[in-house]
Amino acid sequence: MKRFRASLLIAPVAALIFVFVILPYVTVLIMSFRATADGQPYGQGFSVEGYQQFFSQPYYALSLPSSLALGMATTLVCLILGYPIALHIATASRKWRGLLYGIVLSPLLVGIVVRSYGWTILLGNSGVINATLRNLGLIDRPLPLMYNNFGVVLALAHVFLPFMVLPLLSSLQSIDPAIAQAARSLGARRFTIFRRVTFPVSMPGVQAGCILVFVLAISSYVTPSLVGGMRVKTTTLLVIDALIDQYQWPFGSAMALILAVSAGLVVLIFARLTRMKWT
Amino acid sequence: MTEVSLRSLQKLYGKTAALKAISLDVTHGEFVSLLGPSGCGKSTTLKCIAGFEDITDGRICFDNKDISRKLPEDRDIGMVFQSYALFPHMTVTQNLAFGLEMRRVPKADIARRVASAMEMVQLTPYADRYPKALSGGQQQRVALARALVIEPAILLLDEPLANLDAKLRDEMRGFIRDLQKRVGITTIYVTHDQNEAMTMSDRVVVMFDGEIAQAAAPEDVYNRPASERVARFVGNANILDLPVAGADAQGTTVTLPGGTPLHIAPCAAPARAGAPDRLRVMARPEQITLTGPGLGQLPGRIEKRYFSGGHVEYTVATECGALFVTGPTTQHVSEGDTVGLSFDPARLWPLPDPAPERAQ
Repeated sequence: MKRFRASLLIAPVAALIFVFVILPYVTVLIMSFRATADGQPYGQGFSVEGYQQFFSQPYYALSLPSSLALGMATTLVCLILGYPIALHIATASRKWRGLLYGIVLSPLLVGIVVRSYGWTILLGNSGVINATLRNLGLIDRPLPLMYNNFGVVLALAHVFLPFMVLPLLSSLQSIDPAIAQAARSLGARRFTIFRRVTFPVSMPGVQAGCILVFVLAISSYVTPSLVGGMRVKTTTLLVIDALIDQYQWPFGSAMALILAVSAGLVVLIFARLTRMKWT
Repeated sequence: MTEVSLRSLQKLYGKTAALKAISLDVTHGEFVSLLGPSGCGKSTTLKCIAGFEDITDGRICFDNKDISRKLPEDRDIGMVFQSYALFPHMTVTQNLAFGLEMRRVPKADIARRVASAMEMVQLTPYADRYPKALSGGQQQRVALARALVIEPAILLLDEPLANLDAKLRDEMRGFIRDLQKRVGITTIYVTHDQNEAMTMSDRVVVMFDGEIAQAAAPEDVYNRPASERVARFVGNANILDLPVAGADAQGTTVTLPGGTPLHIAPCAAPARAGAPDRLRVMARPEQITLTGPGLGQLPGRIEKRYFSGGHVEYTVATECGALFVTGPTTQHVSEGDTVGLSFDPARLWPLPDPAPERAQ
């Protein structure tokens, strides 16, 4: 009885998740197996046409591995850029820590559209960087900074960097400073301490940050569409195309599910590879 | 085995002196405790020896070699931290092997030395466990073995028992002491617990305000404290301020209220500058005996009586103020009873004047 009453406490959240997460997934799952029809979002009866359509056309099918690669690249860039930042903040004096926190979080204060648009101003063919280089006579033709994977990864990394830094930071800050001292007393030098102690002990933060950034990057829509233009077609962009422009709900739903399952698998494999037996 | 000597070691934080030119020699295989209240500089001293704090002035020598400018990783120390600071992502075996790997010891030797260290601290069955799966006492023993397996020149312990519960603490106290004797390593142990310092050490170094107040064998620190502050920090102390009746080569004669004379043997206590007509004398609670009314040298009345298992603690109101006395449980005295207090003059200890800074 007591347990039942206590479980009532999670009822509101459970209801929320059911209505806004589980039900939509079920709807999408059912929709993905609907028959297609002309002039209508979907037709009568059920079929696997949506899935066939995805895997039979390289334009769609190949978007999946390239989307996953884009997500992984963004994650890697965030990790490489974010780790030194987190390490620096974790060891900064209390006086500086607040300011540094603010700087890391500041991208989140500006809307994602504005941030992505900002990158187009910087990276465009007649943008700040290309214009400057051209005026200096360093280049004749604009460098391809935008409308390609490079530009998208750069902009995504900027947008999602805080989601890497924050888990890393909380992980690094929870490490007992005496652990590094113990390693020193045992004869380890700075880099060895980082490689053998600090980094492995911060793995929970690395794991959380990577999963967070990967999932966000793979499902992002605004940044790839603004910075990537028509050239970079991620699966997420194709899903929106199918649902809204082409009005093919079964196909869009099938693609959305394929993407979700693939991303879930990647996360699962990553979590297994970085599994920590010691926590 | 290594000799450690601190020569006029000074440490300033800005303008605040954490250590005011302390000097200390620790001989081969000696177990020395640094004892004092928090902020007295005992931990700073240890960190300076380990190399985690830069020293402002003075020298630290291991076997007469100045190591003051060496990095901690080059000092050849074994250190045990209050939080144990085990590597959480390594098993017991890996934790113990770490220091040997840093020293590029061949693999086969590592395995052999780790196994024998593990046996030494009775942790062999836990070789493949991660620290999280160990109890506090077991973690403590891993930390100890990890520090010792590298066969360091000296062993430094920073309040290693502070996080353990009382019973385990007593057990570990004996364990660490036995181990230290067996290995024969020069050991410096920081603690704020006078009991720990007394029971484990060859020598206790009492520190106050960045200075060494007394460095002596536990018995001497307890029975012959160098100052009133040491007397009060190390155990309970009754301090009687008594008028001097006369002094000669055999010692000083003081008078108790009521007129009973007490002859105090001469001691190293410096001559009294301020008030040569009075002497402050320390008596430990167990050095005062309760007798019947009218007997003994000083009358008193029992104010409080606490039974504490092995003995009984009394607060006795006297003309010298409230005195703290312990007695055997076989004695039947109740609160409110009038008693006599008997002193053994040979065990009374004259104290020097409180230092001027203490008088404020």
